[in-house]
Amino acid sequence: MLTKQRKHETAVLTENHLIEDVPASQLENRKPMNIPIRAIGIATTVFWAILILFSVSVAYSVKDLQFGFGEPQIGTTLDNKVLVSLPINVTNKGYYNIGLFNVTSVALDEGGFTVAQGSSVVPVIEKDRTVVLFHNLTLDINDLLQRDQNYLFNDTQLTVVECVSMKLAELIPVQASGNISIPWGAPMHNFTLEQPKYLATNLTHIQIAVPLSFENHAVFSFSGNVRIRMYNNAGLLVGSDDTAISVPQNSRYKGSIEFWVMASAISSNGRLEIELQTPFFSYGPQVIAYG
Amino acid sequence: MNLRKIGVRALKAATKGILLYVLYFVLSLFLAPVVKIIPTLQQSIEAFVALYLILMVIGDFMAGTIYHYFLGAGKSLFVIFYLILSLKSGVVSATFGSIDLLVDLRLFLVIAMFLSLLGLARSVFQAVNFMNEEASLPEFGL
Repeated sequence: MLTKQRKHETAVLTENHLIEDVPASQLENRKPMNIPIRAIGIATTVFWAILILFSVSVAYSVKDLQFGFGEPQIGTTLDNKVLVSLPINVTNKGYYNIGLFNVTSVALDEGGFTVAQGSSVVPVIEKDRTVVLFHNLTLDINDLLQRDQNYLFNDTQLTVVECVSMKLAELIPVQASGNISIPWGAPMHNFTLEQPKYLATNLTHIQIAVPLSFENHAVFSFSGNVRIRMYNNAGLLVGSDDTAISVPQNSRYKGSIEFWVMASAISSNGRLEIELQTPFFSYGPQVIAYG
Repeated sequence: MNLRKIGVRALKAATKGILLYVLYFVLSLFLAPVVKIIPTLQQSIEAFVALYLILMVIGDFMAGTIYHYFLGAGKSLFVIFYLILSLKSGVVSATFGSIDLLVDLRLFLVIAMFLSLLGLARSVFQAVNFMNEEASLPEFGL
């Protein structure tokens, strides 16, 4: 059995098999890997502890993240586009800041065409702070009608792809996305232009009324100008008129466009051309035969 | 090897295992909000902790032998492969009804793999060192 004394002064076998008496400190030097092994062990343990505690605390912080949605506000932009603004409250009561909070919405029609899109970004939501951001979605109805005029007359469904992304603790990217279906209300639903009616006559002119009705199912009110032109069977313009209309949202418009035409030029049949100009959209001329 | 030494090793291994389990139990309480969102996370973590504990307890029981270092290296490799497989290369996705959730854990995975590789290197160094000592001591008559 090796004694403690002998451990301190022991023999070292060299490569030439020579035996020398050396102190114990020099014997330790024959184990040069002990120090780096210990250093690696301590470093990995410390970094594992930091990594696990950080990950767990970030995950725990998720429960202290609260979202609230306000009532959507509908307005118009300076270039006469419909603006849907959704207030979103984000309350961060977690341990870390939230980085790059981004909300993106893309509205698609049944054919997958992008009808409207909008994106809102908050660079940093600091901890123990509440941020209110207005997520704006801009809708150009003229663009929509250029693609398909049915949007003016027929209610349909739009698919909105919502994507919310953020960086937890400004480091870990998280993204949640989903599709929701929203109804599209046609601004001129059930558009009806009836046959012209003769109201009154004098020696040279006849007063004509063209009854017009539709329902505004859109989320916005609009006012505009209806222009009507009447042509006889020879293609000659016999009369025209501009009438201002104003239609609140979710209401029915029923009226008639009255105008005078030359009695000598009028024929039993012909065509009517109708145009509608509003700040949001333009429609027409729609040609309707009469007689 | 006498029974006392084996008993001490077993006690040490069991104590470390219990301490690690207690640590896991405490940390799992903090993970509860996330587990509510992703129920499969609980199973995944439990399986990982169970296997890690088994490897750790057996490794500690084998302390003083070369198998201790083999098991240490195996533990590091297990962590690397388990993380790669369970975290699906770092981008985890889950679907809840009509909502798709995507978490990018690549940074976490890279750091965890780097630390596991350091652990693997440590085990290899320890094994080499152990063999070196084993080879040297008989020559000195120790």
